[in-house]
Amino acid sequence: MSLLSNKMGMKQQYWKGIEELENSAEFQKDKQNEFFEGLPLEQAIDEGQSLNTNRRDFLKIFGFSLGAVTLAACNKAPIKYAVPYVEKPEQITPSSALYYASAVLVNNQVIPAIVKTREGRPIKFEPNKNTQLVSGNLLAHAHSSLLSLYDINRIENPLERISNKLVSTSWEKVDAKIIKGLNEAANTGKKIVVLTNTDNSTLHAKALEVLKQKYANVEHVVFDAISYEGILEANEKSFGKRVIPNYKFSKAEVIASFNCDFLGTWLESNKYAEDYAKHKTPDRKGHMNQHFQFESNLSMTGSNADYRLPIKSSREGLHLIKLHNEIAKLAGWKQLPIKDELEVAGGMIKNSASALWKNKGKSLVVSGSNDVSNQILVNAINNMLGNYGKTIDLTNHSNFTKYDSNKFHQLVDEINGEKVGALIVQNANPTYANIKGYDFTKLLAKVNLKVAINTHLDETNTNFDFVCPDNHYLESWNVYEPMNKSYVFLQPTISRVFNTRQAYETLLSWSGEDVSEKNGFTKSYLDLKKYWIKSDFNQAIERGFLENEAKSIPMSFSVNYEKEAQKIANRVKINDNGLELNLYQKVGPRDGCDAPTPWLHETPDPVSKICWDNYVTISKMLAEEKSISNGDVLKVSSGKKSVKLPAYVQPGQTNGTIGIALGYGRNLTTKTQNDLNNLGENLYPFVGVSNNSENYTILNVQIEKTGKTQKLAQTQTHHSIEARDIVREASIGEYKKDPKVRNEHKHNLVSLWRDHDYSEGHHWAMAIDLNKCNGCHACVVSCSIENNVPIVGKDEIIRRREMTWLRIDRYYSFASGEEYLTEEKKIDKTSKTNKTQSHYENVRVAYQPMLCQHCDNAPCETVCPVLATTHSSEGLNQMTYNRCVGTKYCANNCPYKVRRFNWFKYYDNDKFDFYFNNDLGKMVINPDVTVRSRGVMEKCSFCVQRIQETKLTAKRESRKLKSNEVQTACAQTCPTGAIVFGDLNDKNSEISKLYKDERSYHALEELDVKPSIMYMTKIRNVEENKKDQHHG
Amino acid sequence: MVLVVLLLNVLNKNLKRIINEKQGVGSTPSFYQSKIKPVISKWNPIIATLSIGTIVILLVGAWFFNFAKNEVGVQKGYAPEQPIAYSHAFHAGKLQIECQYCHSTASYAKSASIPSANTCMNCHKGVQAREKYDGEVSPEIQKIYNAVGYDPDQAKYIDNYDQKPIKWVRIHNLPDLAYFNHSQHVKVGNLECQLCHGPIQEMEKVYQYSNLQMGWCINCHRQRGIDAENNDYYEEIHKKMKIEGKTYYTVAQNGGLECSKCHY
Repeated sequence: MSLLSNKMGMKQQYWKGIEELENSAEFQKDKQNEFFEGLPLEQAIDEGQSLNTNRRDFLKIFGFSLGAVTLAACNKAPIKYAVPYVEKPEQITPSSALYYASAVLVNNQVIPAIVKTREGRPIKFEPNKNTQLVSGNLLAHAHSSLLSLYDINRIENPLERISNKLVSTSWEKVDAKIIKGLNEAANTGKKIVVLTNTDNSTLHAKALEVLKQKYANVEHVVFDAISYEGILEANEKSFGKRVIPNYKFSKAEVIASFNCDFLGTWLESNKYAEDYAKHKTPDRKGHMNQHFQFESNLSMTGSNADYRLPIKSSREGLHLIKLHNEIAKLAGWKQLPIKDELEVAGGMIKNSASALWKNKGKSLVVSGSNDVSNQILVNAINNMLGNYGKTIDLTNHSNFTKYDSNKFHQLVDEINGEKVGALIVQNANPTYANIKGYDFTKLLAKVNLKVAINTHLDETNTNFDFVCPDNHYLESWNVYEPMNKSYVFLQPTISRVFNTRQAYETLLSWSGEDVSEKNGFTKSYLDLKKYWIKSDFNQAIERGFLENEAKSIPMSFSVNYEKEAQKIANRVKINDNGLELNLYQKVGPRDGCDAPTPWLHETPDPVSKICWDNYVTISKMLAEEKSISNGDVLKVSSGKKSVKLPAYVQPGQTNGTIGIALGYGRNLTTKTQNDLNNLGENLYPFVGVSNNSENYTILNVQIEKTGKTQKLAQTQTHHSIEARDIVREASIGEYKKDPKVRNEHKHNLVSLWRDHDYSEGHHWAMAIDLNKCNGCHACVVSCSIENNVPIVGKDEIIRRREMTWLRIDRYYSFASGEEYLTEEKKIDKTSKTNKTQSHYENVRVAYQPMLCQHCDNAPCETVCPVLATTHSSEGLNQMTYNRCVGTKYCANNCPYKVRRFNWFKYYDNDKFDFYFNNDLGKMVINPDVTVRSRGVMEKCSFCVQRIQETKLTAKRESRKLKSNEVQTACAQTCPTGAIVFGDLNDKNSEISKLYKDERSYHALEELDVKPSIMYMTKIRNVEENKKDQHHG
Repeated sequence: MVLVVLLLNVLNKNLKRIINEKQGVGSTPSFYQSKIKPVISKWNPIIATLSIGTIVILLVGAWFFNFAKNEVGVQKGYAPEQPIAYSHAFHAGKLQIECQYCHSTASYAKSASIPSANTCMNCHKGVQAREKYDGEVSPEIQKIYNAVGYDPDQAKYIDNYDQKPIKWVRIHNLPDLAYFNHSQHVKVGNLECQLCHGPIQEMEKVYQYSNLQMGWCINCHRQRGIDAENNDYYEEIHKKMKIEGKTYYTVAQNGGLECSKCHY
């Protein structure tokens, strides 16, 4: 815990978890030991091995070692070969990187990206920052998605079911049989259905067109695991346009969000994160955006809000009505005559209403609900605020999802009625994301021909007759339209790894077309070039995208939303005190339908900091009421469905609600034996259907302790900050009075070290803006892939041996204003409101990326006995693996706890059967960075390989380095621009400017270690409660 | 070794002095009786065994250390048989072909790169050395044709030929933990290839000329200067050199001895 005092006497208490706040005995014991577990000596004793070495043993071992060393020395070095190309491709230079503008396809989203390749192998995604409309920001899941290319679990050959087993066969055989089957289906007058997830590509549309011409009765049905139909439907009813609008968070000064994780997982969060952060930092006048969040689970977005009110999701509608009425009062519009809304009477709603109204046309109200009525009310509020055409654009709409659940349920009925003769499933996985509890095994038995096109075997296609391997997206050509009239190009960056064929060609060949390569060009490429008439093809490919922003056409809002409000009022039973379950997505696995890649799960959840599992988040109050503690396995049941998952007491969780993440519990047959198999439980069967669309809030669930416990792999409490002032924050009011707030106190320091002289050459440094960092973890995955950081898996994380060089620390503190909380509590008439317990509902969160600080007076350098860690003349704290002998003194002496020890050899080790354990997976390794072996220490190097490479390029070109030319992997990928890296000796660089900012401070500056990283004080756009300022 | 001899010598002299003092003036015994026997008889057998043992272990250890330091993993002089008996002495020496004609990426990439077979074909499409082999294509040149799929009699490439890359044996092997970039040295440092690779233009069969040990790298970095004058990247350094009247600025002064210049 940290007690932060300022001259006004306000105290801010930070804690990393409830254990720390309560300072439990176990926590105290744990925090004493940095290395949680030593050598398993006790285990060795148990196994009957004596720890005492006698003289004979000593001599034996001594003699053996001597002999072994002598023999090893006699051994000749292995012969290595250098095999050049027979004909070197023009663009490829061995040992040099080559970049392509292409795209990342992840969780239904198309993200323009720059793909870095080495010797024809993609090794890293970098964001395409030239886009204006379609965001090129890559979040954690996008970076991790690269590993799916080198996944040995991909389908290698076309598969055919022979005596109930899928067997490899050839494309000719598969094609012939499928064409026969399709003809049969067409001849019997049955339907041929193509079931895909949302795919807005040109080639996909063409393939369907051709298929429809060839066979009668071809129908296309879209199935997405996560439904946004509420928004689609609401916009259709409100404006006659069934679209996902383009939300412009960059233009919103005030944002009110209801259960909407728009920074983490909602729709195009990579874009919203960037836009939102644009006004998240106060300008010279102290002007910044303000964010109100109303939600039941503490989401990543909620943790970034200025004001957050814990509500029950089921009552979201009432809050919306209340908000509508408060704004209507100010606007002089008609009130919605709903009495129940009074029950949610909240100061925060009132405050947000007035803030929104003050910024009409510059505000935005969003809801994560999939309920049409709620979304129509949101539209009504935005309409009243005049936000359409300004912060919400329906003209340049997003094509994120085209899912129509009615059509899907209709398809199920038709299959049931044996009207479907052939089913072609491309990527969609309805068996896993089974929302209505359909029995697909039974249903699919009624279809004669079942064909799947996919890169991996999944829950749906393992039962099919034919599985046709699709190219990975990095092996394919295509053009997508993620936004209306804006296009993103996909070009291959590697030749096909397996005997696969792009889905387009597969579908065309079933329509009887010749899809063979012509002069080395694939059919997909030739056709794409033929169909692309909007601009010069080669130019478009080079840029990777083509954007057109049309002028926003005003739409008239016409819907009887009073009726919808009434619907909400009728539906919500205000005195219903049943426990409600809120299903959410995590920033890693999201909907869970993509082939799982290990970084998705090794990356901790930003809020709970738990890796590798899903779990039940419960409120502190519920935990005390039912005496549940972290890790207790709970049985959660709703009707006949039930799952058993460990509990996690989540501060900020609304009492009376629990939360569980979707996207887990996949049932896959894989070649690899690792933690990705059997992760958590699948919650899709819990998804209910109400008001005609999927509902992710399930009412009246029961929980019950099973008596078992399960350890959660949490990186949360692995380090203690020992009450040091490491994260700083202030309110906007304080900032306006004094921009130096919290940083005004300077320590009188006496140094033990000699200062370094950086006047020559470069002086590398980093600035991290705590205001902009939203905790998304994109930097963590980007760093790990750039620097060959190994995956350690669940067990090792439980043993606190995570290897990530960069971690995002999450600190809780109690919100000072309690008035909102108590008002919400009024409606929980029956609940035992207790002040300390309700405290836990109202927490504030601060994120702080923590990495090697590259201290000038580095404590680690002082203690290394073998000079494995030394200082460079450019300000880097260097780590030399080949010198390290693994004493771990440096990690012990590091005040920031950022050094990582290689407890094992993480490559070629069956215990860690992730991508470092097979030849295909190793293709992703960055050849410029050493793969560390067992027994050495490692840590952030400020991406020294990138610094060296960029410097060398400048030297070769005989020029000075450009400002901001060197980018570390984390700074480059940060969607919000929170991390800035550069040369302090360059006066024009962004970093030099940020170092002069009043908000800048060094973490633990009192230690006088002189870090090269500046943090910038977090400013919250809140009014501090006066009462609090007089405390302490 | 020298140290041990000296030590024994000193010990011997001291003992001699002690013996002489004790015996005073007397009959002169034999050399063994007067000099050696008294010494040995005074030795404690345990201490003697231990000290001799220690000396032996130290000597063996020193030898091992030296062996490990200079021999293990050091392939100086390594000259393996190559799949094609290509002569640098002929091509680079007699014909004076520029090194970077074949090792073309040395000036702009990390690796100098072994030329791809089509580079050989630039000349060897015509040059077949038939005069030396009774009108037949030289068997060594034929190996290139086998790799790329070229029919010298028809003077054209064979259609749909399954090309076979040439498996050259790698001579210079740096460990993976060391990063070395050719362009840094060839282009930026303006170094001659021969500085590290030796008289390559005289080598019939290429051998490893330098020992490629870290000390060898460091030595050069200590001695050689950077070319600050002709490279705008070093503008600041060049200005400073002019002010201070220096003509030389070594790589080491520019941070060329720091660990993470090569190890990361």
